[in-house]
Amino acid sequence: MPSPFDLADLPFLREALLELALLAVTGGVLGAWIVLRRLAFFSHAAGSATFPGLVAADASGVSPTIAGIAVALGYAGGVQRTSRVAGASARDHAEGTALLLVAALATGVILASDVFESGAVVERLLFGTLLGLDTADLVLSAVVATLAAAGALALGRTWSAVGFDPDGARALGLPAARADLLLLLLVAVAAVAAIPAVGALLVTAIYVLPPAAARMLTGSIRGLVACALGVALAEGVVGLYLAYWLDVPAGPPVAVLGALVCLVLAAVRGRRPA
Amino acid sequence: MTETAVRVEQLGAGYGGEPVLEHVSFAAQAGQSVCVLGPNGGGKTTLFRVLLGELVPTAGVIELSGRPAYMAQTERTRLDFPVTALDVAVMGTLAAGRWWLPPSRSERDAAAIALERVGLARVAGVRFGELSGGQRQRTLLARALVQDAPVLLLDEPLSGVDPASARLIVGVFDELLAEGRALLVASHDVESARSFHRVLCLNRHQVAFGTPAETLNRATLQATYGHELIVLDDAGGTRAVTIQHHEHGH
Repeated sequence: MPSPFDLADLPFLREALLELALLAVTGGVLGAWIVLRRLAFFSHAAGSATFPGLVAADASGVSPTIAGIAVALGYAGGVQRTSRVAGASARDHAEGTALLLVAALATGVILASDVFESGAVVERLLFGTLLGLDTADLVLSAVVATLAAAGALALGRTWSAVGFDPDGARALGLPAARADLLLLLLVAVAAVAAIPAVGALLVTAIYVLPPAAARMLTGSIRGLVACALGVALAEGVVGLYLAYWLDVPAGPPVAVLGALVCLVLAAVRGRRPA
Repeated sequence: MTETAVRVEQLGAGYGGEPVLEHVSFAAQAGQSVCVLGPNGGGKTTLFRVLLGELVPTAGVIELSGRPAYMAQTERTRLDFPVTALDVAVMGTLAAGRWWLPPSRSERDAAAIALERVGLARVAGVRFGELSGGQRQRTLLARALVQDAPVLLLDEPLSGVDPASARLIVGVFDELLAEGRALLVASHDVESARSFHRVLCLNRHQVAFGTPAETLNRATLQATYGHELIVLDDAGGTRAVTIQHHEHGH
């Protein structure tokens, strides 16, 4: 059993720890809104939908981060556009999310079958790695955390009003559609930022599971943000240690830990008398 | 001379296909109440959306003395959303346009005063979803009051409300009219329309507009509601009852 202090002593683990801490900030600030605005499926899909962009980038030598962000932003814009076409009364983006996710994944599979020679690259994209993190990944995560905090500060009241009562929010003259689009774009970019550490399939381990657990512990939006940040940070640190100990990618332990915390909290709440 | 709060001339509106509303002309003075009657799909919500500026009219002219405030139906709100009654009332201050800033002290005070006015000061810190139906309706009224608007658009404000809350809400309406505000109230309750200054009957077009005495007769109501209207003849005279389906959209 390795020493927990290795997380601080070994350079590659220190970088991974810093990466997970930055993602935890985004997971707390943005994750709260992902859960409140019922965007859990979208946040999962935004990460997975970058798959064709990452495949194409790997084959052509383009930066996977830039390709991932471009695909994710296009995906977010497409989902909002599809939802608006589907009907103004739609409160969530589930149908548009599913439609475009299927298209993106199918494109990615076709590209991957022709482009990739090694399954290792695909595995790294899907489940993340502790070893492949570089300064660019950390910078992107720091920028995304800053954008998420700034976005939540400036748009939190609007997101709240729209989430609580879309009709009433529009009647207040709020820029509801633009605020919603910005939320989708932020989630999409945040999903790309999490891919190097936890992989495209497991971004929800950072952005959905901690706020979902926090939702069971607190009854206010501020409390949700603070609690989600703390849970994401704790799960990131413990998950990273487990990944180091078990010699596996960081994504799966963080995800399993997040799911277990949610299940335990749900069980405890279920036992509590009404 | 009384100021005109709302004036609509030959209004038409729709959502890209068939017009949902045509040939609507009416006016309300400051201090007047207008009951908007009509079946589901008759155009009440569309009229409100046009007056709020959410929907561009396909025809006609609208004049308003200021940006209207809107009171939605509570069933359109999310009861699981973690906001208190005070949080909801504070949302009304967003109409001032400073949506990117946190609420100021004066805005929070205005929200607290509005809650007090609708009798909810003691539950300001209670989550919206934990309030009773009547309290939730009063909270949404507080959100509208915070906007200090000259015209209020109220979508079935007494639907599903307990008698005590209904009395309180009607009392606030009387105060608002005394302050010189105009109220447009969408309703299915034909009998309560008799207490309004004017009645506007819609069924995808304007069927009638006038005083209750001019509009609340069997011929007009049947033209408005068709087979959704039941007319009861009893000892006290004739009463009209509508069948409510609780559908929304137009």
